[in-house]
Amino acid sequence: MSFRAPSILPGFGITLGFSTFFLSAIVLIPLAALIAKTGTMGWGDFVSTIFDARAIASYRLTFGASLLAATLNGVFGFIIAWTLVRYEFPGRKIIDALIDMPFALPTAVSGIALTAVFAHNGWFGQYLAPFGIKVAYTWIGIVVALTLIGLPFVVRSVQPALQEVQRDLEDAAETLGAGRFYIFRRIIFPTVMPALLTGFTMAFARAIGEYGSVIFIAGNLPMKTEITPLLIVIKLEQFDYAGAAALGFMMLVISFIMLLSINLLQAWGRRRHVAAGR
Amino acid sequence: MSITLDQVTKRYQGAPVVNDVSLEVAQGEFFVLLGPSGSGKSTLLRAIAGLTGVDHGRIALHGQDVTHVSARQRGVGLVFQNYALFKHMTVGENIEFALRVRHMKAADRLKRRRELLRLVALEGMDDRLPTQLSGGQQQRVAVARALAHKPQVLLLDEPFGALDAKIREELRRTIRQVQRELKITTVLVTHDQEEAFALADRIGVMNLGRLLESGKPDELYARPATRFVATFLGAANLLLARQTTQGIRFGSTPVRAHPTDKLDGGREHEVVAVLRPEEIELAPTRDALRTNFIANGVVEELVFTGALERMRVRMTSGAAEGQLVSSGAENHASSAFLDVTRTQYEHRAFPVTLQQSVAVGVRRIHVLPTPLSSYTACASGPEAAERLARHPFLAELAARMKTRIASRVEPTLAAPDRNVAASTPISGVAVIATQNNLLQQSEWLLQNGAAELLVLPSQAAPPQRVLIHWADDSARRSTLAVAASVLRHVPAEAVYLGILPGAADDAQKPLGVRALLDARSEAQSVHGLEMRTELHFGGAAEALNRQLGESTDQMLILGISSLQQLRDQFGAMLASPVPYSLMIVYRPAKELEVNPRLDGIRDTGGAGERAALS
Repeated sequence: MSFRAPSILPGFGITLGFSTFFLSAIVLIPLAALIAKTGTMGWGDFVSTIFDARAIASYRLTFGASLLAATLNGVFGFIIAWTLVRYEFPGRKIIDALIDMPFALPTAVSGIALTAVFAHNGWFGQYLAPFGIKVAYTWIGIVVALTLIGLPFVVRSVQPALQEVQRDLEDAAETLGAGRFYIFRRIIFPTVMPALLTGFTMAFARAIGEYGSVIFIAGNLPMKTEITPLLIVIKLEQFDYAGAAALGFMMLVISFIMLLSINLLQAWGRRRHVAAGR
Repeated sequence: MSITLDQVTKRYQGAPVVNDVSLEVAQGEFFVLLGPSGSGKSTLLRAIAGLTGVDHGRIALHGQDVTHVSARQRGVGLVFQNYALFKHMTVGENIEFALRVRHMKAADRLKRRRELLRLVALEGMDDRLPTQLSGGQQQRVAVARALAHKPQVLLLDEPFGALDAKIREELRRTIRQVQRELKITTVLVTHDQEEAFALADRIGVMNLGRLLESGKPDELYARPATRFVATFLGAANLLLARQTTQGIRFGSTPVRAHPTDKLDGGREHEVVAVLRPEEIELAPTRDALRTNFIANGVVEELVFTGALERMRVRMTSGAAEGQLVSSGAENHASSAFLDVTRTQYEHRAFPVTLQQSVAVGVRRIHVLPTPLSSYTACASGPEAAERLARHPFLAELAARMKTRIASRVEPTLAAPDRNVAASTPISGVAVIATQNNLLQQSEWLLQNGAAELLVLPSQAAPPQRVLIHWADDSARRSTLAVAASVLRHVPAEAVYLGILPGAADDAQKPLGVRALLDARSEAQSVHGLEMRTELHFGGAAEALNRQLGESTDQMLILGISSLQQLRDQFGAMLASPVPYSLMIVYRPAKELEVNPRLDGIRDTGGAGERAALS
């Protein structure tokens, strides 16, 4: 394989160099350090750390809540994007701008705000309490926090895709006899699906790594509402650096596997069409 | 009738995009809607498909009113310019879409799919994705998909727009074949006249939301009724000419006309003549011409295009003073240019070079039936006349009509005196600014040869609504002809006001209603003009004043058959300056009985308008 002149566009050498340097400095070397740190502990210690009952409960909570939040975002983010793209109404621009707020807000702030609202005496919490629904300090609270921070990812990736769905396609389907729901299901949704999946993946990945907002609303009860990032911080506070690194390593592996499978799923979807054409 | 449109109107933000279009397309006919972009042709097509609602009017397919039926239920096939194929589906899935929606069995679907792919010559392409096909192939798939559910009507919206010339021609042939094979009623929208000629059984030309004319391609080309159609369907030289007892005269050059060419009661008048570039003959001298001489000229531009030689000849005498209106080149508006095309054969017989002096003859002249030939801005002083000639609405009207505005100083206008005649008879439409002695000025101008008089307030905008009224039935024909001509160039709604004298009398009502119906059907059949009708009672001037009020965005076209009428019935209206645009159409009643000059070419069966020469 030659790296010489793969393209007529000049500057390949220097840009590839920068990309490699940047990726290494920012992503790869810190990750390598994490793995190296994990390596300082013995095999037995490593296994007992990552398969500790408390750790396993935290994985379940972190990945479960993240998946649920990303799914909720997939549904409601799509609806919001649809509303913003398809309808003209007063205040549309403002709502459009509000979507990015979770990006800009320090996550701790959103965590505190959510806690205030959903605590048993908060604005929403007081009405939910009589029904026995507790949001703050339970796993539901965690899902709410993760949904908040993940929403913009879905909306912002679906929006341009929806804008690109040509009106002509819908008109064509309509003259061919398709009803509105049929058009949505068979024409619009398949066209937007890849973008929706991308948005879902980003929201999911973001939720896995979220720390700031969750610790305020979660209550942090071991085995119940303790997320893995929190467990890592606890280990750090106990100066158990190797243990923290081991949990981090475990998160890395699970995230990698999940993101990879989503990407493979997407690639498979694309290939299916190309293959169908042969 | 397969498709029937009845007074279809679609407004967008108040302005009509499709304006009172009525049309009938026969079973199995290939109809082409031709027009420039923004003429409303695509909107009309979408209205037929049911994708756009209409604000007024009725649409019927095969005799069934579908005005309020959704696109889903209409059973039409629609093909878009950008193909609009479903990119995530294969060719086969695209074609089967309409069948799947209808829950057809898989085996039947497959059979139909095969049939359609064979029809558009894409056998074996079932499993391709649209992105793997060329533009031409994609459009074939779109055609097949649109035909899958056996629609009653096939609609094509600029289907060749995105394709290059060669593929365009090939696809054109395919579509024509498919259409013939299935005998499906087809409407195609395009802005390309060549495409229209190649495909159409019948062409309808649209401009400014109106369907101007429709007819067989060759007839429309040879005998257009409007300036727009004359110049949009191929190149045309428009010249102002005078129709005299001897025939047609360009300036001082008389041209012997066809013996069947009749004259308006012996009265000479100005007309617009259409000279196709290929009907013009060039020769070294006047005597060498085999056709009728119209001018001497100099060759100013010469382009060789293969089969044809195109040139532009500047006229130096003869028809040059015959006030050339347009030769398609706006930048040469001041000079008298003629577009000429010659075949290689003609070129060999008489080769020309740049700057060569030539004699120009013409084989065939077509005279437009329009009553509005040119405008003459009249005022008592030169400054006022110049200012009026530059009036924005007048300038717009003249530009759209591709005609010219002359200005003319008539000192008598300051204090019109019935006993003082104008220096020469006024030709074309006389234009004056609205003012206090409007009635006197109008009378004087009409007396001195003006057949139409346009009164413009300084604020006049292009009207949104044109009201039409005539004082008595003898003025009907001429007024309708003028109204039709104006409305072809102004995107406004037309309303005819029938006014019955006195209070609402039950016995009179049927008479009034019949008058309205007569007016509407005549406008429709003779001029292709669609208009609304309203019936009012009372004094004519009062009724008109009620309708017009102080509005500046309306126009009144008023037909009269005697000056007495103008004084008695409308004197009060004209006593003070009118705020709206006013067109007075004056034909002395006697003259009309002798020869209704304005009944237009269409009802004389096409023979009368041809001033065929040689």
